[in-house]
Amino acid sequence: MKRDLRLERVFPQAPERVWRALTDRRALGQWLMETDFEPVLGHRFTFRAKPRPGWDGVTYCEVIELEPPRRVAYTWRGGAGEGQPLTLDTIVRFTLVPEGSGTRLILEHTGFSGLKSVLVSFMLKSGWSRMLARRLGPVIDAL
Amino acid sequence: MPRASSAPGKRADRDAVFRALGDPTRRAILDRLRHRERRVTELCAPFAMSQPAISQHLKVLTDAGLVSATRAGRERIYRLRPTPLRDAHDWLGHFAEFWSARLDGLAAYLDDEDAGVKR
Repeated sequence: MKRDLRLERVFPQAPERVWRALTDRRALGQWLMETDFEPVLGHRFTFRAKPRPGWDGVTYCEVIELEPPRRVAYTWRGGAGEGQPLTLDTIVRFTLVPEGSGTRLILEHTGFSGLKSVLVSFMLKSGWSRMLARRLGPVIDAL
Repeated sequence: MPRASSAPGKRADRDAVFRALGDPTRRAILDRLRHRERRVTELCAPFAMSQPAISQHLKVLTDAGLVSATRAGRERIYRLRPTPLRDAHDWLGHFAEFWSARLDGLAAYLDDEDAGVKR
């Protein structure tokens, strides 16, 4: 019952243009986050944002799918910092579909089961009260 | 793991909850508080750990809002506060907001390029 994120957006620009904005690190720095991304399969890179309590501000990524100008996917991992458990182990995938002279961009952010497993294993292992299980059941199903 | 805009306090709370839950000792402590409140000495008993070490874990749990303490004589009594866990389900929603805002940014970036705006 894992719920993944899926967003679609149509842009008037052609796929090649959108592709460039998705794979050029300067462009990514403008609309997403500061990064050392390279459009190379297996390339490891980071996105950097302002640190917050419980998060060092760094998202660790690795390019796992690359098919210009149709598809790019990378792992999207983060945690509280060096030596801390990962609180996020997910995948982000952009798919570009030509639509007229423009582009339909499909963004999928998947793999939130990592979060689910932390909560579920915690609650199952500790055999939480039925009251709490009833309240949290729908919440867990939605993850 | 960027988050979309929301009350900063909420966001920090959630980070603290996940950090607190990430440790097996802290999960075991929460487990022991499941049925009833307990004194610190009771909480320490099953663990091969000093009381200061356990107290440190209790502080993390307290900061995350997962337990609360009351004083009874020289000892503190801890009890479970399950409410913060319920907040965790908002998490995915925050990512949806984050990406939606970023796609707005991408659209603006592409439109600016069209308009020949230097960025």
